[in-house]
Amino acid sequence: MAHYVPPKQGKASQLFDVIVLVVLTVGALFVPLWLGMAGAAKTVAAPVTEPTWEALGQNAAQAAKYEALGYTPESAHDLILARFDYSFSAGALLTMIAVILLYYFLILRFSEMEYREVISEKFGE
Amino acid sequence: MDLWNWLEYGAWGLSALLGLHMLVDWLKTDSTYSEDVLTSSREGELEAMAEEHKAH
Amino acid sequence: MADVDITSQTMDGMGPHGTKVGLLRVLGPAHVWALGVGIVLVGEYMGWNFAVGKGGAYAALIACWFAGILYSCVAMIDSEVTSTVASAGGQYTQAKHIIGPLMAFNVGLYLVFAYTMLEAANAITAGYLFSVVAQMTGHAGDLDQRPFIILVIMFLAWLNYRGVLATLTFNLVITAIAFCAIIILFLSTSGVLGGGIMEHAALFEGHELPYGWIGVLAAMHFGLWYYLGIEGTTQAAEEVRSPARSLPFGTLAGIMTLLIAATLTWFMCSGVLPWEYLGDGVNGSVAPLFDTARLSGSTGLLWLLGFGTLFATLASANGCINDASRAWFAMGRDKYLPGWFGAVHPRYRTPYRSIVFLVPIALIFALGAPLDQVITFSILSGLLGYTFMPLNIILFRRKWPLDTIKRGYEHPFHPIPAITLLAICSITFFAVFLGYGTQLVAMIGFYIVVSLWFHFWRYRFVNRGAQFTMPWPKPRGY
Repeated sequence: MAHYVPPKQGKASQLFDVIVLVVLTVGALFVPLWLGMAGAAKTVAAPVTEPTWEALGQNAAQAAKYEALGYTPESAHDLILARFDYSFSAGALLTMIAVILLYYFLILRFSEMEYREVISEKFGE
Repeated sequence: MDLWNWLEYGAWGLSALLGLHMLVDWLKTDSTYSEDVLTSSREGELEAMAEEHKAH
Repeated sequence: MADVDITSQTMDGMGPHGTKVGLLRVLGPAHVWALGVGIVLVGEYMGWNFAVGKGGAYAALIACWFAGILYSCVAMIDSEVTSTVASAGGQYTQAKHIIGPLMAFNVGLYLVFAYTMLEAANAITAGYLFSVVAQMTGHAGDLDQRPFIILVIMFLAWLNYRGVLATLTFNLVITAIAFCAIIILFLSTSGVLGGGIMEHAALFEGHELPYGWIGVLAAMHFGLWYYLGIEGTTQAAEEVRSPARSLPFGTLAGIMTLLIAATLTWFMCSGVLPWEYLGDGVNGSVAPLFDTARLSGSTGLLWLLGFGTLFATLASANGCINDASRAWFAMGRDKYLPGWFGAVHPRYRTPYRSIVFLVPIALIFALGAPLDQVITFSILSGLLGYTFMPLNIILFRRKWPLDTIKRGYEHPFHPIPAITLLAICSITFFAVFLGYGTQLVAMIGFYIVVSLWFHFWRYRFVNRGAQFTMPWPKPRGY
């Protein structure tokens, strides 16, 4: 089998490839942030109007620790009551599973094609 | 201006200095050596050396 | 003229493939340990406590141990493969030889992003630490953290630029100090020596499992943080004197160190800090071990853990720069990325262009994104990498059964570790999905796009047969 001879890549093209990668990377992290879609925002579901340690569900030992850390019931209110929302729809879960499976299917498939070519060139037909 | 303000300036300065040093050395290296020498590293030398050793 | 001082060196880097300047083989098993543990130990000083926030204190402990199982599998599998594939690039090179080029490209990117994001997270933490110390020493107003964040990244990049031996010796020293700080804090607060300050029962009362059992699942997400990065030991393969022995030894010693440190850390922090505070790593406890020392009332412990935290973040960022640049370099050398990155500094013998290039990338993330997002980005890349490993070992054993290649280390009970690893990875994907689903999809979307980019554009610049460099027989089934 004829050996594949890769083309030489010029400086400008190399630079362009790097820029593409950087843009994609930065995009993957910042686009969800900019769109405000980044999850994980904790919210306070049921605020307590006049917070005391008892009302916040803290026993004496817990309250003592908060005071040692420099908190008052008012300043600790959000910290203590904020919770994640773990409810999710089956659709979202299925989408995630489908995306992950698609991804692995894609790379394993393409990898195998490329790998066969590598092996046949390396070890001869 | 207290100590920490000075430290802030110090940190800016030192960062710039280290960055500059890397940059200068990088440019110097690139202009002193040819690209072929710099990118001559190949994967799997140890394995190849061990093989060659056996062959001799 | 350029060759003169290079040829005066020993055989190192003077391989028969035409290598004129290669990486320098100078490291021993202790450096491998320091690289592995150094990267990870910061996970005990910060970050793991988000697991408490996602499920409560008990959930964080369960996650700690399940993640421990996951990483024990990772360490065993990695040790076996890497004891035969000793090359900079680590899992990237493994994937290239065992699964195929596109997988390798993806794995290389996982490595670079997992480490660069971790490096950014470390720099953020170090900056925060400086601001706390400034406040404690009576600085009026808020400290500008940016110069310190930049300084951390610049200094460590500079150290990496100047040579691997000094870099990892530095890591060995500061990692050892940071580990000792955890042990000393444990001895002096748990009641082993003198009076203890642990109040687990009272602090857990009423908050045993605040989210119920789904919280335990969700906590797995940040449970990885206790150990994330231990697999980076393989990146040093081209710079270790006897990789087939040092790498498995350093890696397995590393995971044992971390299992101890993680459990002790959980014990101390959950016994002193209320879970809501402990679990909020942004508004609450950024550095939980440091906060534990604060509540111990001892100034000595406070300084010890302050320095412990700083050293842990430095060691980790340092190791990350080392690993990310090796992976980037290895991909450049194979033309997976522009070949320009495959350069080695003729005097310092480091992949200097990769090191310098990754500095601004780390800075963008350290200065521009919140800590938990950066950590999630890092964890996701790591997780994708761990999902690759079971596939890797199963195919490795199938294509090259035990009697065809001599391995420096053979992991026991195959394929149980591979299947366990795959199962725990699936659970962790679900855990990330709870609360951070958008990032997960964005991240995978990113990898799909770059995969297509690689397959249809970038791969044309890659030599086909020549990238298979191991002196192995032809794989079975081809």
